[in-house]
Amino acid sequence: MAKGDRPKADFSDVESGSSSTAPSPAGRSYTVQKGDSLSKIAKREYGDAQQWRKIYEANRDLIANPDLIYPGQVFRIPEA
Amino acid sequence: MIRRYPAVLLLAATILAAPGCKKSSDAGTPATATETATAQASITEIQLGRHLSADKRVSDATTKFSPRDTIYAVALTQGSSPNATVTARWTYEDGGQVVKEDSRSIAASGTEATEFHISKPSGWPKGKYRVTLTLNGSTESKDFEVK
Repeated sequence: MAKGDRPKADFSDVESGSSSTAPSPAGRSYTVQKGDSLSKIAKREYGDAQQWRKIYEANRDLIANPDLIYPGQVFRIPEA
Repeated sequence: MIRRYPAVLLLAATILAAPGCKKSSDAGTPATATETATAQASITEIQLGRHLSADKRVSDATTKFSPRDTIYAVALTQGSSPNATVTARWTYEDGGQVVKEDSRSIAASGTEATEFHISKPSGWPKGKYRVTLTLNGSTESKDFEVK
């Protein structure tokens, strides 16, 4: 070791972790296409257009008005 | 027959006005709104501290830590990415030594908070550290110190 060099610190016992408000990609998501509505997405995902409110509730931070969704938005699709 | 028209029109109007049935391709949709919705997720802020609140934000922001502290770094992100990877790289003394590197895959949608934390039971060596968070090619760093 050259004079003045500091010995390396030992970080072998460092413990770490992580978490997120975002779901993992394993969870289903859906990217809104032109011509989509929440009812249409619910019909495709659940087979029941009346389930649109479930998607709306899971994405309230993205949807100000359930009648106004935009192509390219990525919605979380909750389990049926 | 003529008397039935108002009822038919009322029924049609009710169906069209049902929530969740309006199509996304409505004329007049502002282009800027669409562009915002399709923006790829990126890091907008890094928070550092010793504790997290329930919404995974740092509740006591600081860049000064003690050797026994658990250190939290939160990446606040904005935008949509159905499959993105956030990476945290912790380094010591001007990046000369990597302390830890972790990553987490997320389906970002809107504003999200992704936290990484490190602790060292034997105590952190005193000195200057840096955490660098990366998402979709955007990189943000923050320096901190253990005294």
